[in-house]
Amino acid sequence: MKQLQIAIESTTLANGLKVVIAPETTAPVVTIGVYYKIGFRLEPKGRSGFAHLFEHMMFQGSANAPKMQHIKLINSSGGVLNGSTHYDVTNYYEAVPSNALERVLWLEADRMRALKVDDENLRNQRDVVKEEVRVNVLNQPYGGFPWLDLPPVAFRNWANSHNFYGDFTDLDAADLSDVFTFFKTYYVPNNAVLLILGDVKPEEGFALAKKLFADIPAGPPPPFADPTEPEQNEERRGHVEEKFGTLPAIAIGYVVPKRRTADWCAMALLDQALHGGRAGKLYRELVLEKQVAVELDGGIDDIFGYNGPTQMVTRIMHKPEFTGETAMAAFDQVIREIQENGISEDELAQLKVKWQSDFVSLLENGHGGMPRYGLMHLLACFTLFDNEPQLVNSILDGFLAVKREEIQAAARKYLVKEKRAIVFRTPTASSAKEAA
Amino acid sequence: MATPAVEVNSAVPGLSAERQVTWPKRQRVRLSNGLDVILVESHTIPKFHGELFLRSGNATVIERGPGLAEMTATVLRTGTSKRVSRQIEEDLRRLGADLSSYAGADTSAISFAGLSEFAEPLLGLVDELARDAAFPEAEFERERRQKLEEVKLSRTEPGFLAGERLRKVLFGAHPYGVVSPSEEQVAAYKRDDLLGVYRDFYTPENALLVLVGDFQPGAMLKSVEKVFGAWQGKKPVPSVFASPANPRSRHVYLVHQPGAVQTQILAGCHAITRRHPDWVKLGLTNSLYGGAFNSRLVMNIREDKGYTYSPRSGVNALRQHGYFSVSAAVRNDVVAASLTEIFYEMDKLRSLPVPEPELADAQNYLSGVFSMGLATQGGLLGQIAVVALNELPDDYLETYRAKVRALTPADLLETARKYLDSANMQIVVVGDRAQIESQAALFGELEVFDAQGKHLR
Repeated sequence: MKQLQIAIESTTLANGLKVVIAPETTAPVVTIGVYYKIGFRLEPKGRSGFAHLFEHMMFQGSANAPKMQHIKLINSSGGVLNGSTHYDVTNYYEAVPSNALERVLWLEADRMRALKVDDENLRNQRDVVKEEVRVNVLNQPYGGFPWLDLPPVAFRNWANSHNFYGDFTDLDAADLSDVFTFFKTYYVPNNAVLLILGDVKPEEGFALAKKLFADIPAGPPPPFADPTEPEQNEERRGHVEEKFGTLPAIAIGYVVPKRRTADWCAMALLDQALHGGRAGKLYRELVLEKQVAVELDGGIDDIFGYNGPTQMVTRIMHKPEFTGETAMAAFDQVIREIQENGISEDELAQLKVKWQSDFVSLLENGHGGMPRYGLMHLLACFTLFDNEPQLVNSILDGFLAVKREEIQAAARKYLVKEKRAIVFRTPTASSAKEAA
Repeated sequence: MATPAVEVNSAVPGLSAERQVTWPKRQRVRLSNGLDVILVESHTIPKFHGELFLRSGNATVIERGPGLAEMTATVLRTGTSKRVSRQIEEDLRRLGADLSSYAGADTSAISFAGLSEFAEPLLGLVDELARDAAFPEAEFERERRQKLEEVKLSRTEPGFLAGERLRKVLFGAHPYGVVSPSEEQVAAYKRDDLLGVYRDFYTPENALLVLVGDFQPGAMLKSVEKVFGAWQGKKPVPSVFASPANPRSRHVYLVHQPGAVQTQILAGCHAITRRHPDWVKLGLTNSLYGGAFNSRLVMNIREDKGYTYSPRSGVNALRQHGYFSVSAAVRNDVVAASLTEIFYEMDKLRSLPVPEPELADAQNYLSGVFSMGLATQGGLLGQIAVVALNELPDDYLETYRAKVRALTPADLLETARKYLDSANMQIVVVGDRAQIESQAALFGELEVFDAQGKHLR
């Protein structure tokens, strides 16, 4: 495959704000992102869901762009915008015709400099967030499965195990002083990266970044809670009731080795061998061959985008006539097989081609109409976690160097019962009856 | 609207000169077997995206069985006379490719993407699936069983239940009135039904192949001719269906979901297809109403009142009949309040001309996002396919922005009066009857159903 070499330039302003620019001029469109190194993993205790609620507040007004203005100014420039909260980062991003670049940077700088919100805004967004939780979790079959179900079973450190969307009592308890404390602590330029991708000349991008962001004062380095997990030495199991859905579901999560190690690369290809679509061993065996499961998928979610403990997760929805233990036995047999026999040279070659191809697509991929969201996300995470945006151009090498024996060794070392957590999400009697 | 207008701060940077939007050349060729091919270069990444469309879908084949086009597309990838299922999946992985096959109301498709260096073998596999699928009995049985579970499961999703009921209400006995087969209908599928659909509709004369990506068009066309040239088959006899009756006056349809902690609202009325001369006008009207973050409805029931997270409206362009719809998942105690605002914003657009600055904002928005597709291979493919499948004029992409920018407040007023038909909106609410029935009943004659579609008294 042609090696993809992405042009990247980066700098750090005097206030600590990192700026990364990746020019590509096919379309007159520019994608802009601001990433802050704070996610729901590190939100304060007693304030579950706050990092996400705060993300909503960043759209509620800043010193020179009151509520409604931010959204209006971007939409009316011909662009789209959004934000999202992750484990270790929170992002704000826009894709606009390139003639709106300065306007968007001005808006991002304005809200980095001075958030301006009131109690009414907080009440409003608390209501919006509750409806978000209802539409995505509480009123959906398999809502929150397994991203909210697994952490409390799998992890012991509150940072990793709490309800990331937030308990409603915690959301209700949050007040305006929490909002401003959080803003002052984490939303400082020295805890952020600005990304400009697409139709931009690097020198113009840097000049605008300097003009608009350089006078935002740096803050003290933010304190971060330690997300380290105590060593896991036993299988952990949990049960969750499924209120609406008709099929029993199981999620199995194994702890992933430390990022950017050889084991991590081997684990990623092992993940591809197990979960890579319909060719993956688990789908083939449980859905196509044994026909225990109706649906199966999984993997290491957002493998480049986390900075603390995470898991490789398999999601299974199985036929009601089989027990969970039968489905688990079929799953375990696949794991045992790969531990005993590893994978063939031919299979490894296939996995590497697919891995490379998927990586290229990830970079180009849009997200809600946002071109190059993937490239933006990787550049941001490699900058905030590694201070090395150029990793986008070299990170593949480690995966392409993985050998067969390393995959088998990773399966033996990491896919063990003492390193996993399992959640059974079982339809309640009434939802099962409803379907009969 | 309760939200006051806000003055734009004078410090806000203006927009610099716009860089011209240039749509890439489309090379359009008809092979001697009747296959239409469109080739477009896009060198953003060393890959290409493709889609082989068949101009027939679930609506076309409904008399043979609801959902049969979808089932045919599903089983299609599980074997050919040359490759068993496992071989197909491993070969795709070897080529670094993704492939999916599916059917909507009006089209069936094999959608794929892969590395440019392996273009010809991937096209070879697509061709094999399109004309040499074997529909192995065991694979068919397995997929049918999976589909049964899928059908059951979908009846637990508020969004599905709302959409299903609205389509039934708007289209009645027309094939668009059915969005999913019943369990009994899936149980009755036979392998022969699939073979029949495959034989009659998977033909080059009924197909369109769109390829977008990092390739040299001359060489790619040679590959396409070599790979697809031997495929043979006639255009199917078109199915003709009587136009659906347009439901008059507001009605409310409550789908009872016991224990629901939120209510899914979906309301709609008949509108137009993409081929209609009013299409662009309605697109802009919709974008002002509820089609953008900055739209009136979102600002009202989300940003001002906090009733909902994700309100939106849209024009749903089925090939023969379009419909307009608006949706929001709202707190149970504000169902009536939300509907009131939904109609208030509709009626306001029908009564008062849109202020010029607001119109200009919406025009900028719509013409700006229209060009986003240019930046990715998949986005470009989507836009080109829409033009070709709807047989829109060749310069549709090039002229769209100018058409949007030419519209006036009077155009929008006229369009809203014609198509945001508030007096005849059909309203579906999915939720817990005990909590929402009295609120819903305020908006029209009410009927109640359970999740299985049974009428409740």
